[in-house]
Amino acid sequence: MSEEALLEVTDLRVAFAAGGQEISAVNGVSFSVRPGETLAVIGESGSGKTVSCRAIMGLLPSTAIVKGSARLRGTELIGLPEPELRRHRGAQMAMVFQDPARSLNPTMRIGQQIAEAVRTHRDVSKAEARAEAIELLRLVRMPLPERRFGEYPHQLSGGMRQRVVIAIALACKPKLLIADEATTALDVTTQAQIMELLLDLQDELDMALVMISHDLGLAASYASEVVVMYAGKIVEQAPAGQLFGARGAVRMRYTRALLDAIPDMERAAHTPLPVVAGRPPDLAALPPGCAFADRCAAAEDDCRETAPDLAEHVPGHRWACWHPCAAGDNSENGDIPS
Amino acid sequence: MARSPALRLVGRRLGAAVIVLWGVTLLTFIVMSTLPNDTAQTMLGLHATPAQVAALNKALGLNQPFWVRYWRWLVQALHGNLGTTLEGQSVNHELAIHLPVTLELLAYALVISVALAVVVAVLAARRPNGIADRISLSVSMIGLSASPLVVGIILVIVFAVQVGWFPVQSNGLGGGLGSFFVQGTLPAASLGFPLFAIYTRLLRADLVEQMQREDYIVTARAKGLSPWRVLIRHALRNSMFTLITVIGLNLGTLVSAAAIIEVLFSVPGVGSDLLTAIGNHDSALIEGIVFVFALITVAGNLAADLLYAVLDPRIRHGSTNS
Amino acid sequence: MAVPTPDAVLLTPGGPPALPSLLVSDRRIRAQRFWRGARLWIPLGFLILMLFMCFVLPRVVTLPSPTNGTILDGNDALFTPGHWLGTNNVGVDTFSQIVYGGQVSFEIGAAVTAIGMIIGCAIGIPAGYLGGWADSLLSRILDVLLAFPALVLALAIAEGLGPSEVHEIWALSVFSIPTFGRLARASTLAVRDLPFMTAARLSGTRGWRIIVRHVIPNIAPGLVSFSLLGVGLTIILEGALDYLGWGIPLPEASWGQMIASGQNIMSAQPQYVLVPSLFLLVTVVALNMFGDALRERWGEA
Repeated sequence: MSEEALLEVTDLRVAFAAGGQEISAVNGVSFSVRPGETLAVIGESGSGKTVSCRAIMGLLPSTAIVKGSARLRGTELIGLPEPELRRHRGAQMAMVFQDPARSLNPTMRIGQQIAEAVRTHRDVSKAEARAEAIELLRLVRMPLPERRFGEYPHQLSGGMRQRVVIAIALACKPKLLIADEATTALDVTTQAQIMELLLDLQDELDMALVMISHDLGLAASYASEVVVMYAGKIVEQAPAGQLFGARGAVRMRYTRALLDAIPDMERAAHTPLPVVAGRPPDLAALPPGCAFADRCAAAEDDCRETAPDLAEHVPGHRWACWHPCAAGDNSENGDIPS
Repeated sequence: MARSPALRLVGRRLGAAVIVLWGVTLLTFIVMSTLPNDTAQTMLGLHATPAQVAALNKALGLNQPFWVRYWRWLVQALHGNLGTTLEGQSVNHELAIHLPVTLELLAYALVISVALAVVVAVLAARRPNGIADRISLSVSMIGLSASPLVVGIILVIVFAVQVGWFPVQSNGLGGGLGSFFVQGTLPAASLGFPLFAIYTRLLRADLVEQMQREDYIVTARAKGLSPWRVLIRHALRNSMFTLITVIGLNLGTLVSAAAIIEVLFSVPGVGSDLLTAIGNHDSALIEGIVFVFALITVAGNLAADLLYAVLDPRIRHGSTNS
Repeated sequence: MAVPTPDAVLLTPGGPPALPSLLVSDRRIRAQRFWRGARLWIPLGFLILMLFMCFVLPRVVTLPSPTNGTILDGNDALFTPGHWLGTNNVGVDTFSQIVYGGQVSFEIGAAVTAIGMIIGCAIGIPAGYLGGWADSLLSRILDVLLAFPALVLALAIAEGLGPSEVHEIWALSVFSIPTFGRLARASTLAVRDLPFMTAARLSGTRGWRIIVRHVIPNIAPGLVSFSLLGVGLTIILEGALDYLGWGIPLPEASWGQMIASGQNIMSAQPQYVLVPSLFLLVTVVALNMFGDALRERWGEA
């Protein structure tokens, strides 16, 4: 970690007050992203991965309460007044969303939606913004960019819509791109195309990429560093090679369960994850102990009493578990000691 | 041409509108035939003999069976003639005098209510549960619950009786723009306030819903747009489609409310004309006015549908959201 | 145990560890709970109070007559002993008129809404459930009723049959039936193709049984919370009819008729028109707020 981090998140916490209850969506999350690096944030829905990233972007509704720190090139984003934050949003950091059918305004021409992103941060004329928008469409490999400029989102296919969303995100050549389940809503072939496009663009523009996904397979194929979240906390964190490599070692039973949910690493995995038995805990009433204990085969009394902290047990590999899996073999699921 | 989904929609709606209009004329005739048939008696005065009454009934065709009378009226109406009032005036002429007054009143009420509603709803939706939002919610709750009658009376007491800015009764909306505003503002405000409440609530709910739920709003915010720009350029734009539909659908209740307001302020529109006609059992005039009311309602619904189709690109291009 | 307990982790000694830090202040959560309750209970409390005032009070306490007074008591101001809301120009007690007029308003509001709900559902549910030509036919009928100015029909009925409470109920039902019909149709359409409905259909359950077992329980909450708005709207329309003199026949008291007679002297004595207007307004506000609160709890219709 010699290079200075582009994004440094420390002890991020997010809570919502809803219906007279406190929902703790993120409970102390820390990670960092170096320039040009690809970080995968993995977890089931409700694990806090999306909320964390939206908190960093300042995109949460006003009912959310955000604490902790997130520094982008040294600038603290948490608590930054909205007008200041806006200068970074879309310029230095941008986001691509899950469902391209919903993330574009249905009543606005796509060209306008891209040009708007250009004009927000740069003082250019309408004609220049238009030219630039067409250039961006070309950058995301959109066929016939001039013609597509004047079309509405519903006239495009899912993959093309996602290219438009990416074009919007890249309007100001950001240094950090957060892709929130950017390929989940797409069919398998399109998924691969969009993923390749993202990685190509990452190289071209020298961006850092934060990939939010529930898909460990995706992380294994593309990410350099992997963070696994559960119930608003990071439960395991390691370089992708260390986790999935030839001698990879997943230590958390939750990560293992996610891994087992992928039937075959070759078949690009895009299955959602109800395969992990049980349900995520109620975020309004988290247990005092390990949040995964109720779904964990190896849980014992100490798990329910005290939550294990995330600690670096092996250089570069951190996990939070009292009774982790045996090191060194991801392939077999048995041999869970108790 | 017929292949365009928008045009097909227009055709279907037009067909439905014609059927509804026809249904209304029939229903009016049925209701009218339940009224005591004393047209001839009224025209001849109290001293007419039963023979005279019978003779006039025959002359007017009022002794004919229901279907014959309805058919005759319908044929006439299709030729643009809505019949003759008890006083011997043509119903068309009567409508030509009174209808513009009502339409002006409605237009005035609509314009002020929509304009205010858009401004207030945007202010309120900027910060849900903020001060502006709370005030707008309370005011619109009152407006929603207030009958135009009550609003009218309170406005009269405050602005006509106490402050004296406007006349208590308006007696016509003619005579130049200045006079129109003096005479028409209180009636239009009485009609418009409940409308304002409905539109504000609807628009605010739609805006807040979009701002909280829709991903394209997040996309817009992620671009770094200012909250106002997101609200107006992205959310309001889409909410206007809903608003236009509701305005069109509401026209029907609006004409009924206009009748009461016209009585309260003595505005000589079709509404107060209608009430007089009902008092006089003037069937031809009632039928004519009800027909016009229904026409306004149906035209409003139709216009709402069509405008929606024209404005919303999703329908304009016949999206199937593949 | 084959796997050693991670020794790098510091054990928190003794007792259960603290729950995740409460970022949301206690006050905010309590305030949210309070207002959520208040939005339901304040209007409900007011409505219960109004119902008590209109229906129980006159049976327990002897109120002055709402129709007769002596001219000696005429034009009493507000807060006169014995007539705390004053009297009109012929000495009829205002409060007692409000009470008896309120009875009429609530009775008509409830009856018209009930009729609208029952007949509206009888038209709207089959229309939404069956679809096709039955839907087209029933929808057109509802459209005709909606396009027909309700007031005209109400006035015509009052004129033709003579003003009375029962006639007014039927007249106003012409407005409530298509309104409920449309809502029932729309909500039925919304639940018709839900998975459990399809499952019921596929398992061979008969149409009417599906309607009774599945459709009605699912659309009922929406209809019930809407019916409160319906009662409010009916009370407004009833006031308008009475105001125009085509509703409750004189000398019986009604709020609309009080407004009409107060209007003539509103320059000199605004309270005659203001008192019934405010009762009308506040009652409908309470009904609408209660309806909103129910919708908030039960979800949108």
